[in-house]
Amino acid sequence: MKHQMKNLMDEDLTEPECVLVDIYRQLARVLETSGDELSPFAKRNALKALAALWQVMNGLDMDPGQVYDLGA
Amino acid sequence: MTESPYWNPRHETMPRDRIEALQARKLRNLVEWADSSVPWQSKRLRDAGVTPDQVSSLDDLQQIPLMTREDWMQGQLEHPPYGPILAAAPESAIRYHMTSGTTGATPIRVLDGMKDWEWIAEMWCYGLWGFGVRPSDIVFVAFGYSTFIGFWGLHYAGEKIGCLVLPGGAMTTDQRVRQIVDMGATVVCSTPTYALRMAQEAKSMGVDLAGSSVQRLILSGEPAGSIPATKKLIEREWVAMAGDTAGMTELGTIMIFECAEQPGGTHIIEDHYIEEVLDPESGKPVPYGEMGERVVTSFGRGFIPVFRYRTRDLVVKVPGSSCRCGRTFDIYEGGIRGRVDDMKLVRGTNVYPRAVEAIVREFPEIDEFQIHLYTAEGIRDEIEVLMEIPDVDADPYRIMGEVGKKLADAHEGLRFGVKQAETGTLPRFELKAKRMLDERIVIGTEGERRSQP
Repeated sequence: MKHQMKNLMDEDLTEPECVLVDIYRQLARVLETSGDELSPFAKRNALKALAALWQVMNGLDMDPGQVYDLGA
Repeated sequence: MTESPYWNPRHETMPRDRIEALQARKLRNLVEWADSSVPWQSKRLRDAGVTPDQVSSLDDLQQIPLMTREDWMQGQLEHPPYGPILAAAPESAIRYHMTSGTTGATPIRVLDGMKDWEWIAEMWCYGLWGFGVRPSDIVFVAFGYSTFIGFWGLHYAGEKIGCLVLPGGAMTTDQRVRQIVDMGATVVCSTPTYALRMAQEAKSMGVDLAGSSVQRLILSGEPAGSIPATKKLIEREWVAMAGDTAGMTELGTIMIFECAEQPGGTHIIEDHYIEEVLDPESGKPVPYGEMGERVVTSFGRGFIPVFRYRTRDLVVKVPGSSCRCGRTFDIYEGGIRGRVDDMKLVRGTNVYPRAVEAIVREFPEIDEFQIHLYTAEGIRDEIEVLMEIPDVDADPYRIMGEVGKKLADAHEGLRFGVKQAETGTLPRFELKAKRMLDERIVIGTEGERRSQP
Protein backbone atom coordinates (compact mmCIF):
# COMPACT_ATOMS: atom_id res chain seq x y z
CA MET A 1 0.00 0.00 0.00
CA LYS A 2 1.35 3.42 -0.91
CA HIS A 3 2.04 5.73 2.02
CA GLN A 4 0.63 9.22 2.05
CA MET A 5 1.62 11.58 4.81
CA LYS A 6 1.99 15.30 5.39
CA ASN A 7 4.26 16.89 7.92
CA LEU A 8 3.19 19.67 10.28
CA MET A 9 4.26 22.30 7.73
CA ASP A 10 1.57 20.77 5.50
CA GLU A 11 4.12 19.36 3.09
CA ASP A 12 3.94 15.90 1.50
CA LEU A 13 6.52 13.37 2.62
CA THR A 14 8.08 11.00 0.10
CA GLU A 15 7.40 7.28 0.27
CA PRO A 16 10.74 6.41 1.93
CA GLU A 17 10.29 9.27 4.41
CA CYS A 18 6.85 7.91 5.33
CA VAL A 19 8.40 4.50 5.97
CA LEU A 20 10.95 6.05 8.34
CA VAL A 21 8.18 7.85 10.20
CA ASP A 22 6.30 4.56 10.59
CA ILE A 23 9.43 2.80 11.85
CA TYR A 24 10.06 5.56 14.40
CA ARG A 25 6.49 5.37 15.65
CA GLN A 26 6.62 1.59 15.94
CA LEU A 27 9.93 1.77 17.76
CA ALA A 28 8.60 4.37 20.19
CA ARG A 29 5.48 2.27 20.79
CA VAL A 30 7.48 -0.89 21.52
CA LEU A 31 9.69 0.97 23.98
CA GLU A 32 6.70 2.59 25.65
CA THR A 33 4.57 -0.53 26.00
CA SER A 34 7.11 -3.34 26.22
CA GLY A 35 10.47 -1.73 26.92
CA ASP A 36 10.81 -3.48 30.26
CA GLU A 37 10.27 -6.88 28.64
CA LEU A 38 13.22 -6.44 26.32
CA SER A 39 16.68 -7.79 27.09
CA PRO A 40 19.27 -5.15 27.94
CA PHE A 41 20.91 -5.45 24.51
CA ALA A 42 17.58 -5.07 22.73
CA LYS A 43 16.31 -2.17 24.80
CA ARG A 44 19.49 -0.12 24.84
CA ASN A 45 20.09 -0.55 21.11
CA ALA A 46 16.47 0.30 20.41
CA LEU A 47 16.88 3.50 22.46
CA LYS A 48 19.97 4.45 20.47
CA ALA A 49 18.04 3.86 17.27
CA LEU A 50 15.17 5.95 18.60
CA ALA A 51 17.53 8.83 19.42
CA ALA A 52 18.90 8.69 15.87
CA LEU A 53 15.47 8.40 14.22
CA TRP A 54 14.24 11.28 16.36
CA GLN A 55 16.59 13.47 14.31
CA VAL A 56 14.87 12.25 11.14
CA MET A 57 11.44 13.04 12.61
CA ASN A 58 12.66 16.46 13.68
CA GLY A 59 14.26 17.15 10.32
CA LEU A 60 11.04 16.15 8.54
CA ASP A 61 9.02 18.51 10.78
CA MET A 62 7.00 15.76 12.40
CA ASP A 63 7.24 17.36 15.87
CA PRO A 64 8.54 14.30 17.72
CA GLY A 65 8.43 16.04 21.10
CA GLN A 66 10.65 14.80 23.91
CA VAL A 67 11.52 11.17 24.65
CA TYR A 68 13.19 11.30 28.06
CA ASP A 69 10.34 9.27 29.55
CA LEU A 70 11.26 6.44 27.20
CA GLY A 71 14.91 6.67 28.23
CA ALA A 72 16.31 8.57 25.26
CA MET B 1 20.26 10.77 -7.41
CA THR B 2 22.85 13.56 -7.33
CA GLU B 3 24.44 14.06 -3.93
CA SER B 4 23.02 17.07 -2.16
CA PRO B 5 25.40 19.84 -1.06
CA TYR B 6 23.04 20.39 1.87
CA TRP B 7 22.61 18.22 4.97
CA ASN B 8 18.87 18.97 5.09
CA PRO B 9 18.07 20.31 1.61
CA ARG B 10 14.45 21.22 2.32
CA HIS B 11 15.23 23.29 5.40
CA GLU B 12 18.42 24.86 4.11
CA THR B 13 16.73 26.21 0.98
CA MET B 14 13.35 27.10 2.49
CA PRO B 15 11.90 30.51 1.59
CA ARG B 16 12.19 33.00 4.46
CA ASP B 17 8.49 33.03 5.24
CA ARG B 18 8.53 29.24 5.61
CA ILE B 19 11.62 29.31 7.85
CA GLU B 20 9.92 31.86 10.06
CA ALA B 21 6.72 29.79 10.18
CA LEU B 22 8.79 26.76 11.19
CA GLN B 23 10.59 28.76 13.88
CA ALA B 24 7.30 30.09 15.25
CA ARG B 25 5.91 26.58 15.54
CA LYS B 26 9.07 25.32 17.23
CA LEU B 27 9.04 28.30 19.56
CA ARG B 28 5.51 27.47 20.68
CA ASN B 29 6.55 23.84 21.28
CA LEU B 30 9.57 24.97 23.27
CA VAL B 31 7.49 27.31 25.43
CA GLU B 32 5.05 24.47 26.06
CA TRP B 33 7.84 22.08 27.01
CA ALA B 34 9.61 24.56 29.31
CA ASP B 35 6.34 25.66 30.88
CA SER B 36 5.41 22.09 31.75
CA SER B 37 8.81 20.75 32.79
CA VAL B 38 11.00 23.55 34.19
CA PRO B 39 9.28 25.48 37.03
CA TRP B 40 11.97 28.16 36.97
CA GLN B 41 11.43 28.78 33.24
CA SER B 42 7.67 28.56 33.65
CA LYS B 43 7.74 31.33 36.26
CA ARG B 44 9.93 33.54 34.09
CA LEU B 45 7.65 33.03 31.11
CA ARG B 46 4.41 33.49 33.01
CA ASP B 47 5.74 36.55 34.88
CA ALA B 48 6.29 38.03 31.43
CA GLY B 49 2.77 37.04 30.36
CA VAL B 50 3.94 34.29 28.00
CA THR B 51 1.91 31.08 27.75
CA PRO B 52 2.17 28.39 25.04
CA ASP B 53 -1.28 29.01 23.58
CA GLN B 54 -0.55 32.63 22.81
CA VAL B 55 2.71 32.08 20.88
CA SER B 56 1.71 32.27 17.22
CA SER B 57 4.44 34.25 15.46
CA LEU B 58 8.04 35.30 15.89
CA ASP B 59 6.84 38.69 17.13
CA ASP B 60 5.84 36.92 20.36
CA LEU B 61 9.51 36.20 21.03
CA GLN B 62 9.97 39.81 22.13
CA GLN B 63 7.81 39.20 25.20
CA ILE B 64 10.16 36.52 26.51
CA PRO B 65 12.73 37.94 28.94
CA LEU B 66 16.39 37.91 28.03
CA MET B 67 18.58 35.48 29.92
CA THR B 68 22.16 36.20 30.90
CA ARG B 69 25.10 34.11 31.91
CA GLU B 70 24.75 35.74 35.34
CA ASP B 71 21.18 34.41 35.62
CA TRP B 72 22.48 30.95 34.76
CA MET B 73 25.36 31.18 37.25
CA GLN B 74 23.12 32.49 40.01
CA GLY B 75 20.79 29.54 39.48
CA GLN B 76 23.73 27.16 39.72
CA LEU B 77 24.89 28.77 42.96
CA GLU B 78 21.43 28.58 44.51
CA HIS B 79 20.67 25.07 43.22
CA PRO B 80 23.97 23.28 42.72
CA PRO B 81 25.30 21.58 40.73
CA TYR B 82 23.17 22.39 37.65
CA GLY B 83 20.77 25.10 38.73
CA PRO B 84 17.00 25.06 38.19
CA ILE B 85 17.30 24.74 34.40
CA LEU B 86 16.90 21.01 33.82
CA ALA B 87 13.77 19.75 32.10
CA ALA B 88 14.44 16.08 32.81
CA ALA B 89 15.85 14.08 35.69
CA PRO B 90 19.67 14.02 35.86
CA GLU B 91 19.45 10.21 35.93
CA SER B 92 18.27 10.26 32.31
CA ALA B 93 21.37 12.11 31.12
CA ILE B 94 24.21 10.38 29.33
CA ARG B 95 26.69 13.28 29.05
CA TYR B 96 28.13 15.91 31.37
CA HIS B 97 30.07 18.90 30.07
CA MET B 98 31.15 22.32 31.29
CA THR B 99 32.38 25.60 29.90
CA SER B 100 36.08 26.21 29.38
CA GLY B 101 36.04 29.05 31.90
CA THR B 102 37.28 31.67 29.44
CA THR B 103 34.92 34.39 30.62
CA GLY B 104 34.16 33.34 34.16
CA ALA B 105 35.86 31.66 37.06
CA THR B 106 33.03 29.20 37.73
CA PRO B 107 32.12 26.94 34.82
CA ILE B 108 28.57 26.39 33.59
CA ARG B 109 27.61 22.73 33.92
CA VAL B 110 25.29 21.01 31.48
CA LEU B 111 23.69 17.60 30.94
CA ASP B 112 22.37 15.92 27.82
CA GLY B 113 20.09 12.98 27.17
CA MET B 114 20.62 10.41 24.44
CA LYS B 115 18.64 12.19 21.74
CA ASP B 116 20.15 15.57 22.70
CA TRP B 117 23.59 14.11 22.20
CA GLU B 118 22.51 12.88 18.75
CA TRP B 119 21.17 16.36 18.05
CA ILE B 120 24.47 17.93 19.07
CA ALA B 121 26.22 15.81 16.43
CA GLU B 122 23.41 16.63 13.99
CA MET B 123 24.24 20.35 14.20
CA TRP B 124 27.89 19.66 13.46
CA CYS B 125 26.75 17.58 10.45
CA TYR B 126 25.24 20.74 8.93
CA GLY B 127 28.66 22.36 9.21
CA LEU B 128 30.81 19.44 8.09
CA TRP B 129 28.58 18.45 5.18
CA GLY B 130 28.08 22.06 4.17
CA PHE B 131 31.84 22.57 3.98
CA GLY B 132 32.22 19.51 1.76
CA VAL B 133 33.16 16.76 4.22
CA ARG B 134 31.99 13.37 2.90
CA PRO B 135 32.06 9.70 4.02
CA SER B 136 35.35 9.09 2.20
CA ASP B 137 37.14 11.67 4.35
CA ILE B 138 39.64 10.92 7.09
CA VAL B 139 39.05 13.42 9.88
CA PHE B 140 41.72 14.23 12.46
CA VAL B 141 40.41 15.99 15.58
CA ALA B 142 43.16 17.95 17.36
CA PHE B 143 41.38 18.30 20.66
CA GLY B 144 41.94 17.30 24.29
CA TYR B 145 38.71 15.26 24.78
CA SER B 146 37.81 16.39 28.28
CA THR B 147 34.71 17.71 30.03
CA PHE B 148 35.07 20.87 27.92
CA ILE B 149 32.64 20.22 25.08
CA GLY B 150 34.87 21.61 22.30
CA PHE B 151 34.97 19.25 19.33
CA TRP B 152 33.13 16.33 20.95
CA GLY B 153 30.05 16.92 18.80
CA LEU B 154 32.18 17.18 15.69
CA HIS B 155 33.74 13.80 16.46
CA TYR B 156 30.32 12.14 16.56
CA ALA B 157 29.18 14.06 13.48
CA GLY B 158 32.16 12.71 11.58
CA GLU B 159 31.17 9.17 12.58
CA LYS B 160 27.54 9.86 11.65
CA ILE B 161 28.56 11.04 8.18
CA GLY B 162 30.63 7.89 7.79
CA CYS B 163 34.12 9.39 7.89
CA LEU B 164 37.09 7.66 9.45
CA VAL B 165 37.60 9.75 12.60
CA LEU B 166 41.00 9.97 14.28
CA PRO B 167 40.70 11.23 17.86
CA GLY B 168 43.81 13.34 18.39
CA GLY B 169 43.65 13.73 22.17
CA ALA B 170 46.52 13.36 24.65
CA MET B 171 49.18 13.93 21.98
CA THR B 172 51.98 16.41 21.59
CA THR B 173 51.87 18.76 18.63
CA ASP B 174 54.58 16.89 16.75
CA GLN B 175 52.77 13.59 17.32
CA ARG B 176 49.62 15.13 15.89
CA VAL B 177 51.41 16.44 12.81
CA ARG B 178 53.02 13.06 12.28
CA GLN B 179 49.69 11.23 12.56
CA ILE B 180 47.91 13.68 10.22
CA VAL B 181 50.54 12.99 7.57
CA ASP B 182 51.03 9.26 8.18
CA MET B 183 47.31 8.46 8.26
CA GLY B 184 46.49 10.58 5.22
CA ALA B 185 44.01 12.81 7.05
CA THR B 186 41.97 14.86 4.58
CA VAL B 187 40.24 17.04 7.19
CA VAL B 188 41.84 18.58 10.29
CA CYS B 189 39.77 20.14 13.07
CA SER B 190 41.22 22.58 15.61
CA THR B 191 41.15 26.13 16.86
CA PRO B 192 42.61 28.68 14.41
CA THR B 193 45.51 29.31 16.77
CA TYR B 194 46.31 25.64 17.01
CA ALA B 195 46.09 25.20 13.22
CA LEU B 196 48.89 27.76 12.98
CA ARG B 197 50.77 26.08 15.82
CA MET B 198 50.66 22.72 14.01
CA ALA B 199 51.83 24.40 10.80
CA GLN B 200 54.80 25.90 12.67
CA GLU B 201 55.59 22.52 14.18
CA ALA B 202 55.40 20.86 10.75
CA LYS B 203 57.95 23.36 9.44
CA SER B 204 60.32 22.70 12.30
CA MET B 205 59.95 18.95 11.69
CA GLY B 206 60.69 19.39 8.00
CA VAL B 207 57.18 18.18 7.11
CA ASP B 208 55.74 19.67 3.93
CA LEU B 209 52.02 20.16 4.58
CA ALA B 210 51.48 21.03 0.92
CA GLY B 211 52.39 17.45 0.15
CA SER B 212 49.98 16.06 2.74
CA SER B 213 46.45 14.82 2.00
CA VAL B 214 44.78 17.59 4.01
CA GLN B 215 42.15 19.42 1.93
CA ARG B 216 40.01 21.06 4.57
CA LEU B 217 40.39 22.56 8.04
CA ILE B 218 37.38 22.94 10.29
CA LEU B 219 38.04 25.78 12.73
CA SER B 220 36.21 26.58 15.93
CA GLY B 221 36.68 28.00 19.42
CA GLU B 222 37.96 31.47 18.50
CA PRO B 223 36.74 34.31 16.28
CA ALA B 224 39.95 34.13 14.25
CA GLY B 225 38.47 31.56 11.86
CA SER B 226 36.68 34.42 10.14
CA ILE B 227 39.43 37.04 10.35
CA PRO B 228 40.46 37.22 6.68
CA ALA B 229 44.19 37.67 7.32
CA THR B 230 44.35 34.82 9.85
CA LYS B 231 42.31 32.52 7.65
CA LYS B 232 44.43 33.34 4.62
CA LEU B 233 47.56 32.56 6.62
CA ILE B 234 46.13 29.22 7.79
CA GLU B 235 45.07 28.29 4.26
CA ARG B 236 48.47 29.24 2.90
CA GLU B 237 50.36 27.27 5.54
CA TRP B 238 48.22 24.15 5.08
CA VAL B 239 47.48 24.60 1.36
CA ALA B 240 43.88 23.69 2.23
CA MET B 241 40.47 25.38 2.59
CA ALA B 242 39.62 26.63 6.08
CA GLY B 243 36.01 26.85 7.25
CA ASP B 244 34.83 28.66 10.35
CA THR B 245 32.26 27.38 12.83
CA ALA B 246 31.16 28.59 16.26
CA GLY B 247 29.32 26.99 19.13
CA MET B 248 28.91 27.26 22.86
CA THR B 249 28.58 24.90 25.79
CA GLU B 250 25.33 26.57 26.85
CA LEU B 251 23.81 25.21 23.61
CA GLY B 252 25.95 22.07 23.46
CA THR B 253 26.99 22.48 19.86
CA ILE B 254 27.51 24.84 16.94
CA MET B 255 24.88 27.26 15.71
CA ILE B 256 26.77 28.70 12.71
CA PHE B 257 29.02 27.31 9.97
CA GLU B 258 30.80 28.43 6.86
CA CYS B 259 29.73 26.68 3.66
CA ALA B 260 32.02 25.51 0.87
CA GLU B 261 31.42 28.73 -1.06
CA GLN B 262 33.30 30.57 1.71
CA PRO B 263 31.16 33.71 1.64
CA GLY B 264 33.27 35.50 4.25
CA GLY B 265 30.88 34.59 7.01
CA THR B 266 28.91 31.82 8.65
CA HIS B 267 25.38 30.59 7.95
CA ILE B 268 23.03 30.38 10.93
CA ILE B 269 21.34 26.98 11.36
CA GLU B 270 17.95 28.63 11.40
CA ASP B 271 15.80 25.51 11.46
CA HIS B 272 17.20 24.80 14.95
CA TYR B 273 17.83 28.29 16.34
CA ILE B 274 16.42 31.77 16.39
CA GLU B 275 19.32 34.20 16.35
CA GLU B 276 18.48 37.81 17.17
CA VAL B 277 20.96 40.68 16.90
CA LEU B 278 20.34 43.35 19.53
CA ASP B 279 21.95 46.59 20.53
CA PRO B 280 23.88 45.53 23.66
CA GLU B 281 22.97 48.76 25.46
CA SER B 282 19.31 49.27 24.56
CA GLY B 283 18.36 45.65 23.90
CA LYS B 284 16.57 46.75 20.71
CA PRO B 285 16.95 44.75 17.48
CA VAL B 286 19.45 46.12 14.98
CA PRO B 287 18.85 45.80 11.21
CA TYR B 288 20.79 43.71 8.70
CA GLY B 289 24.33 45.03 8.26
CA GLU B 290 24.70 46.58 11.72
CA MET B 291 26.77 45.18 14.53
CA GLY B 292 25.02 43.96 17.65
CA GLU B 293 24.96 41.24 20.27
CA ARG B 294 23.91 37.67 19.40
CA VAL B 295 20.90 36.49 21.38
CA VAL B 296 19.98 32.86 20.85
CA THR B 297 16.95 30.66 21.34
CA SER B 298 17.65 26.96 20.81
CA PHE B 299 15.06 24.35 19.87
CA GLY B 300 17.19 21.25 19.93
CA ARG B 301 18.34 20.50 23.44
CA GLY B 302 15.27 19.48 25.37
CA PHE B 303 17.24 18.81 28.55
CA ILE B 304 17.99 22.52 28.95
CA PRO B 305 15.52 24.78 27.12
CA VAL B 306 17.24 28.07 26.29
CA PHE B 307 15.29 31.22 25.47
CA ARG B 308 16.86 34.49 24.34
CA TYR B 309 20.28 33.87 25.83
CA ARG B 310 22.61 36.86 25.68
CA THR B 311 25.86 35.50 24.31
CA ARG B 312 27.92 38.74 24.49
CA ASP B 313 29.19 37.83 20.99
CA LEU B 314 29.28 40.70 18.49
CA VAL B 315 27.94 39.91 15.03
CA VAL B 316 26.69 41.52 11.82
CA LYS B 317 23.79 39.66 10.20
CA VAL B 318 23.23 39.78 6.43
CA PRO B 319 20.70 37.90 4.26
CA GLY B 320 21.51 34.36 3.15
CA SER B 321 21.10 35.47 -0.45
CA SER B 322 24.49 37.19 -0.17
CA CYS B 323 26.05 33.71 -0.54
CA ARG B 324 26.04 31.76 -3.81
CA CYS B 325 25.46 28.38 -2.14
CA GLY B 326 21.67 28.55 -2.40
CA ARG B 327 21.03 28.38 1.33
CA THR B 328 18.40 30.74 2.63
CA PHE B 329 19.89 30.68 6.12
CA ASP B 330 21.09 34.16 7.07
CA ILE B 331 24.79 34.82 7.50
CA TYR B 332 26.96 36.40 10.15
CA GLU B 333 29.28 38.40 7.94
CA GLY B 334 32.79 37.98 9.30
CA GLY B 335 31.61 35.30 11.77
CA ILE B 336 31.81 36.24 15.44
CA ARG B 337 33.43 39.70 15.43
CA GLY B 338 34.46 39.61 19.07
CA ARG B 339 32.81 39.88 22.43
CA VAL B 340 31.04 42.80 24.02
CA ASP B 341 33.41 42.57 26.99
CA ASP B 342 36.56 42.12 24.84
CA MET B 343 36.71 45.79 24.07
CA LYS B 344 39.38 47.77 25.91
CA LEU B 345 39.36 51.51 26.29
CA VAL B 346 42.88 52.85 25.84
CA ARG B 347 43.33 56.61 26.16
CA GLY B 348 39.78 57.11 24.94
CA THR B 349 40.02 54.74 21.96
CA ASN B 350 38.22 51.40 21.67
CA VAL B 351 40.57 48.49 21.00
CA TYR B 352 39.27 45.03 20.03
CA PRO B 353 41.69 42.08 20.03
CA ARG B 354 40.23 40.90 16.72
CA ALA B 355 41.12 44.17 14.99
CA VAL B 356 44.69 43.92 16.26
CA GLU B 357 44.96 40.31 15.14
CA ALA B 358 43.61 41.18 11.69
CA ILE B 359 46.57 43.53 11.21
CA VAL B 360 49.25 41.37 12.82
CA ARG B 361 48.27 38.37 10.67
CA GLU B 362 48.91 40.35 7.50
CA PHE B 363 52.56 39.67 8.28
CA PRO B 364 53.25 35.94 7.92
CA GLU B 365 56.73 36.44 9.41
CA ILE B 366 55.07 36.98 12.82
CA ASP B 367 54.87 33.62 14.52
CA GLU B 368 53.05 34.55 17.73
CA PHE B 369 51.99 37.78 19.39
CA GLN B 370 50.56 39.25 22.58
CA ILE B 371 48.69 42.49 23.29
CA HIS B 372 49.94 43.98 26.53
CA LEU B 373 48.18 46.79 28.39
CA TYR B 374 49.95 48.44 31.30
CA THR B 375 50.07 51.62 33.33
CA ALA B 376 53.09 53.83 32.70
CA GLU B 377 54.44 56.21 35.36
CA GLY B 378 51.63 55.23 37.68
CA ILE B 379 48.95 57.01 35.67
CA ARG B 380 49.11 56.63 31.89
CA ASP B 381 47.42 53.89 29.83
CA GLU B 382 49.79 52.17 27.42
CA ILE B 383 49.33 49.42 24.89
CA GLU B 384 52.03 47.41 23.19
CA VAL B 385 52.11 44.44 20.87
CA LEU B 386 54.87 41.90 21.44
CA MET B 387 55.74 39.80 18.42
CA GLU B 388 57.93 36.81 17.73
CA ILE B 389 59.68 36.98 14.33
CA PRO B 390 61.79 33.84 14.15
CA ASP B 391 62.65 34.04 10.44
CA VAL B 392 66.31 35.13 10.31
CA ASP B 393 65.85 36.47 6.79
CA ALA B 394 63.02 38.79 7.85
CA ASP B 395 63.61 42.45 8.66
CA PRO B 396 62.03 42.87 12.11
CA TYR B 397 62.44 46.67 12.13
CA ARG B 398 60.54 47.06 8.86
CA ILE B 399 57.79 44.69 10.06
CA MET B 400 57.44 46.38 13.45
CA GLY B 401 57.35 49.80 11.80
CA GLU B 402 54.61 48.74 9.40
CA VAL B 403 52.56 46.99 12.09
CA GLY B 404 52.77 50.04 14.35
CA LYS B 405 51.64 52.37 11.56
CA LYS B 406 48.73 50.13 10.52
CA LEU B 407 47.60 49.73 14.14
CA ALA B 408 47.64 53.50 14.68
CA ASP B 409 45.82 54.13 11.38
CA ALA B 410 43.11 51.66 12.38
CA HIS B 411 42.70 53.15 15.87
CA GLU B 412 42.25 56.90 15.44
CA GLY B 413 46.01 57.50 15.64
CA LEU B 414 46.40 55.68 18.97
CA ARG B 415 50.10 55.00 19.57
CA PHE B 416 50.90 51.31 19.97
CA GLY B 417 54.26 50.18 21.24
CA VAL B 418 55.55 47.38 19.00
CA LYS B 419 58.34 45.18 20.31
CA GLN B 420 60.05 42.00 19.23
CA ALA B 421 59.85 39.17 21.76
CA GLU B 422 62.42 36.43 21.92
CA THR B 423 61.35 33.41 19.89
CA GLY B 424 59.46 30.84 21.95
CA THR B 425 58.80 33.15 24.92
CA LEU B 426 55.15 34.07 24.28
CA PRO B 427 52.42 31.66 25.41
CA ARG B 428 51.13 29.00 22.99
CA PHE B 429 47.53 27.79 23.04
CA GLU B 430 45.76 24.58 22.13
CA LEU B 431 42.22 25.72 22.92
CA LYS B 432 41.00 29.28 23.24
CA ALA B 433 43.88 31.69 22.84
CA LYS B 434 44.23 34.53 25.37
CA ARG B 435 46.51 37.04 23.73
CA MET B 436 45.30 40.12 25.61
CA LEU B 437 47.22 40.72 28.85
CA ASP B 438 45.73 43.64 30.78
CA GLU B 439 48.03 44.62 33.65
CA ARG B 440 46.83 48.18 34.03
CA ILE B 441 46.54 49.64 37.49
CA VAL B 442 44.60 52.64 36.21
CA ILE B 443 41.79 51.89 33.74
CA GLY B 444 41.04 54.05 30.74
CA THR B 445 40.69 57.76 31.11
CA GLU B 446 38.52 57.63 34.21
CA GLY B 447 41.46 57.40 36.54
CA GLU B 448 39.76 54.49 38.29
CA ARG B 449 42.37 52.43 40.10
CA ARG B 450 42.20 48.68 40.17
CA SER B 451 42.40 47.04 43.54
CA GLN B 452 45.75 45.37 43.99
CA PRO B 453 45.71 41.59 44.08
